[in-house]
Amino acid sequence: MELFLYTALFAPLAGSLFAALFGASKKTKIAGIVPSALLGLSLLSSTVLLILVFMTGRTIHVEMMTWMAAGDLYIPFGFVVDQVSVVMMMVVTLVSTVVHVYAIGYMDHDKGFNRFFSYLSAFVFSMLILVMSDNFAGLFIGWEGVGLCSWLLIGFWYHKESASWAANEAFIMNRIADLGMLIGIFLVYWNTGTLQYKEAFAAMPSLDTAILTWMGIFLFIGAMGKSAQFPLHTWLADAMEGPTPVSALIHAATMVTAGVYLVVRANPLYSLIPHVGLFIASLGAFVALFAASMALVNRDMKRVIAYSTLSQLGYMFAAAGLGAYWVALFHLMAHAFFKALLFLGAGNVMHAMHDELDPFKMGGLSKVMKGTFVMMTIASVALAGIFPLAGFFSKDLILEVAFVEHHFIIYTVLLLTAGLTAFYSFRLVALIFHGEDRYKHFGIHPHEAYKFMLVAMSPLLVLAVIAGAFKMGYFGMVTELLPATEYHVHSAATYWIMTIGTQLFVMGAIAYAYKKYTSKDIKVPDGTSKMENSFGYKLLINQYYIPYFYENYIVKAYRELSEVFWTKIDQKVVDATVDGIANIFYQTGEKTRVMQSGNLSTMLKWMVAGTVALLSLAVAFGLAARYSVEIKTFLSGLGV
Amino acid sequence: MLDHILSILIFFPALAGVLGFVVNKNSIRSYGVAVATIEFVLALWLWFVFDSNVSGMQFMEQIALIPTFGINYIVGVDGISLFIIILAAFFTMIGIASLGETKDIKNMIITLLFLQMTMVGVFAALDAIVFYLFWELSLVPMLYIIGAWGGPLRIYASVKFFLYTFAGSLVMLVGMLFMAYFYYQATGEWSFAILDWYRLILPESFQLWLFVAFFMGFAIKVPMFPFHTWLPYAHGQAPTIGSVILAAILLKMGTYAFIRFSLPLFPDASVYFMYPIAVLAIIMIIYTAMVAYAQKDVKQVVAYSSVSHMGVIILGTFALNVEGITGSIFLMIAHGVVSGALFLLVGVIYDRRHTKYMSEFGGLAHVMPRYATIFGVMLMASVGLPLTINFVGEFLSLLGFYKQSHILTLLAGTAIIVGAIYMLAAYKKMFFGVVTKEENKHLKDVNKRELLALIPLTIITIWLGIYPKPLLGPINTSVEAVVSLMHEKSLSEEAKQRIPSVAKDMALITKPTGEAH
Repeated sequence: MELFLYTALFAPLAGSLFAALFGASKKTKIAGIVPSALLGLSLLSSTVLLILVFMTGRTIHVEMMTWMAAGDLYIPFGFVVDQVSVVMMMVVTLVSTVVHVYAIGYMDHDKGFNRFFSYLSAFVFSMLILVMSDNFAGLFIGWEGVGLCSWLLIGFWYHKESASWAANEAFIMNRIADLGMLIGIFLVYWNTGTLQYKEAFAAMPSLDTAILTWMGIFLFIGAMGKSAQFPLHTWLADAMEGPTPVSALIHAATMVTAGVYLVVRANPLYSLIPHVGLFIASLGAFVALFAASMALVNRDMKRVIAYSTLSQLGYMFAAAGLGAYWVALFHLMAHAFFKALLFLGAGNVMHAMHDELDPFKMGGLSKVMKGTFVMMTIASVALAGIFPLAGFFSKDLILEVAFVEHHFIIYTVLLLTAGLTAFYSFRLVALIFHGEDRYKHFGIHPHEAYKFMLVAMSPLLVLAVIAGAFKMGYFGMVTELLPATEYHVHSAATYWIMTIGTQLFVMGAIAYAYKKYTSKDIKVPDGTSKMENSFGYKLLINQYYIPYFYENYIVKAYRELSEVFWTKIDQKVVDATVDGIANIFYQTGEKTRVMQSGNLSTMLKWMVAGTVALLSLAVAFGLAARYSVEIKTFLSGLGV
Repeated sequence: MLDHILSILIFFPALAGVLGFVVNKNSIRSYGVAVATIEFVLALWLWFVFDSNVSGMQFMEQIALIPTFGINYIVGVDGISLFIIILAAFFTMIGIASLGETKDIKNMIITLLFLQMTMVGVFAALDAIVFYLFWELSLVPMLYIIGAWGGPLRIYASVKFFLYTFAGSLVMLVGMLFMAYFYYQATGEWSFAILDWYRLILPESFQLWLFVAFFMGFAIKVPMFPFHTWLPYAHGQAPTIGSVILAAILLKMGTYAFIRFSLPLFPDASVYFMYPIAVLAIIMIIYTAMVAYAQKDVKQVVAYSSVSHMGVIILGTFALNVEGITGSIFLMIAHGVVSGALFLLVGVIYDRRHTKYMSEFGGLAHVMPRYATIFGVMLMASVGLPLTINFVGEFLSLLGFYKQSHILTLLAGTAIIVGAIYMLAAYKKMFFGVVTKEENKHLKDVNKRELLALIPLTIITIWLGIYPKPLLGPINTSVEAVVSLMHEKSLSEEAKQRIPSVAKDMALITKPTGEAH
């Protein structure tokens, strides 16, 4: 069985290294095919492991070798396949395989084809380390590894200023959160004496609540960065500068869910500190609504989907914060499928539209892109949470959790967000695929993507439809490890009213979006309409002015302060002091040189001066010695 | 031969350097490479025969110099100094092999060989006077390298470098003389042997004064804020090889000396000064990182980043526990490798363009993909990405200090943020974007001679990041001995509490011989 574990983990690394061999040479198909095949192998191994864990309930734990050992600290490269990590492994390898195959077509014309696959497979490897590690330090390796790959892939088209800027923003913002994570890890080590999950979690119940609270907070700060929670969220939308397969894999399905995974993994800790959990849930609900509101007006197709991802991450944190870890993980899984599908569909549209991102410039594409149209519509239905697609089962469950736990504010916020989600999703679908063929004004001749790309997407399509059916089997499996709380509304009547009410509300939102955005009057906005000049619209389109605030008050301040530190303090104060001291010696030498001029009369003058000085000193001492008693009394009288 | 391996390591390069005067100018490069390679192989052999289960000194040699005053030639090596010696040999070897200078190459190579003697001497010396001799002697070749092969401001830079560090060392020398005197008072015998000094327990007030005296010498060498301003000048003016050796090895003398002298000799004073020094270290980390961000010259970015990283090393040292000190020693090696590589990389582009201003570049990733890749790896190592060599040291250093103070570690931890800021900004300016300058369009990628130095460094960076155990093991063993010695020797309650007791039998400690009064 260990063989499967190692295959699943290291096959992507092999793929990455293989593609890297061709890094500097011309584009060759093999650099895409081999990593994809190796990922298929990894997927196969993960499936075997899933079946094993599901059937027998056995978990696999291996320790490959020591990484760090100093003092009492011992960190191995250890990996564990248990009920939680195997779910993550399945999600990661499945979506990555699909995205890899898709990208062979998508990146077809790109000069950096080979390089792209090297990065993409390296990402999968890092992500697998993250989810399979058996200790916090190993998690951190993966954590930083995915950050590095994200940096490389966001800035993949590094000739674009916006891309390299977004890459750096993402890396640095994640680093801020990583500091929190690091401190959390230190806290775990000094309080439990180990970083291994099993031993550390076992030691936690006996610790002081204050310490546990700090631990929970700092680890969550780490999660906030990777999962782009407020106020560290701005990088995610900017990360859309990367190629679309990257957005699908990293910035929708896998990496951004690492924060949720961390909270789920650390459930023994968070179960002990429900007040921190409540904070996480509240922040999650807030982000869900906050991100959805920005998605309402955005005119960049990919950014809309990115905000939607952010909003769904909020849902996951809401569930995890309320202690429904298995629900959070379930939504993570379902979301990975339909969101990746949505992004890949958007990639097809982008290709067809020659990298145009404004949906207002599209319209009527359903005629030329049937396959993509069907896939994106189904993905959007799933995202909106319509029965019986995947989103219904996972998202409805989160609403139920909030309701059953009597957090009605969170419930209301999430319910409202569900309506907004449906609206913006179908605003996008309507604008892209229905209505007038507005693209014709821009002289674009759209075409459907390669067949094999659509075929590659189809597993996601199937899963987006049927993932809900796995719920009971999944529940039985993960609750071996996670708290097995079932969330049932007590009276059946309430349950049906809630469920049907939610469905009607969501469908209403869809219908409204369709009506509004399929009409013939839709034009490309030019900034003159009344709506575009309203305060609310401006607030939303400018992302609540948060990026503006960061740029002008933090980035700029840092840059200017750095400049001051260098030119004013380092050169004018610190260094000038040093040179000043050196100068004193130098000047003293210069000045006193005249004493030794060799001129007899000058030297005699100095001799007399010296003699007088010495004599007066002697007299002073003599007097002081003679009147020492009086001087002492005098001084003591002065209080010295 | 094994009995004298350290003396051979110290004096072989110098002897070869003297012989180098008669070597033909055309074959001096191969001669230099051969000598440095032999030296490096000897250093590796030393590692091979080194017993990593022994915490105390190994391969000790003792020759009486001035017995009346207890001045002897004593050398020895333990886990703390072993790897720095190997690193010194390694960098001299690849430095000579990849030497880009052509002017006066014979003098350059001879100077480097002499420099190597002083470097190995400092790290192997176990007698304070011998240590001091090598410590000061190491200034001379560096002074010459900067002064003879440097940039336009080379005279100012080299004199500043020399006088500044020399002034600090004089204070340290006074401290050493006092230390020997106290030893004489306590035991009736003169001794400058460091291992003898280890057995001396000083009252706290004495410790404080001596700590400060030693601190002056070490802090300027490191360099610690606010004594760091000589460094940017030295790096700015030095030729590539000078910067590489300076950053990789010479700066480590200061941090090494803290662990060799300050901690075990003055445990109470170390605890007393822990917070002030930690604050200085944090200023070093954040302030110099910000200064680095403001630079326009890429070499200055790397120079200031050196100071910033040295802050983490200092912090780890003054964690005063095994995790932190082990981490700081490992970080010395790591920083040597990474900053050495970064200076070499800066040298690569300087050789091609004769400018170091980042605004002159842009889009280099198109033109020089190999160069961009290696630079990228070193960049990631410099910002402390896990599975690179720097991370291990940084992680352990910060982890160690967390035991002493939460809030200060949180502040120091910003190293991972501010470090990423200036490094990524520099990388973006140089490598990303489109090629705008005509003269950048046809730059040649790294050549074989340059790869000769860069590839081994890249391999080490990743290899030791994944598998640091071969180094961590011996370091850890020796550090445990130091920490337990400190715990045993410390007088005040606070110090006993701050310095953990390591429950293992220690080779370094024999019974304390007496107390000075």
